[in-house]
Amino acid sequence: MSCAVLNRIKELRFDRDEMTQQDLADRIGVTRQTVNAIELGKYSPSLEVAFRIAAVFGVPLEQVFQFDEKKGG
Amino acid sequence: MSFREKSAWISAVLISLFLLSYFVPTLGGHVSGAQRLHHFLLVVLTFATLEIVLHAVIAIRSPRDARAPKDERERLIALKAARISYYVLMVGALSSIFTIHLGAGAARIVGHMFLSVVVAELVRFVSIIVFHRRGV
Repeated sequence: MSCAVLNRIKELRFDRDEMTQQDLADRIGVTRQTVNAIELGKYSPSLEVAFRIAAVFGVPLEQVFQFDEKKGG
Repeated sequence: MSFREKSAWISAVLISLFLLSYFVPTLGGHVSGAQRLHHFLLVVLTFATLEIVLHAVIAIRSPRDARAPKDERERLIALKAARISYYVLMVGALSSIFTIHLGAGAARIVGHMFLSVVVAELVRFVSIIVFHRRGV
């Protein structure tokens, strides 16, 4: 099951001193498995979690998440 | 594997064993009369004990995950799984009531309803596992 929302979270994590999924999970208040599910496109986070992820990386939301119009329908 | 998924696996396996160890002998007529209550209590106590012990083991191995509240994805998984199991429970309950018209006695109707509850719970835990594996 893949979502219409794509993301660059894994890339951004590695650019931030190879931040681990657990570290990111702790910062945004979800489990490591949820971070993994988001990265793999198995789960679309809520707006709040999406904004928290962007805040951790210090970038705008659009640089973290992109909407795939083909999958979005 | 997250704590919630491990918990779901434990419950799914134990409920499956419960189904086999209680309903198969009971519905097959191998346990009857006074033995039925004794058999029921034995199976329920064994099930409850194993649930507690196995959940304690995984909690001790991952205390932080066990204490953490459900995050948004886990809450969504729980809600979706509960919705699916609700439909299973409703079908089971209504079919149990329908057995009245087939001449079933009170004991059989209650047995069918109990089976519906157990199957619905199994479906709920299987759904949780599927959502964790495939995504939600």
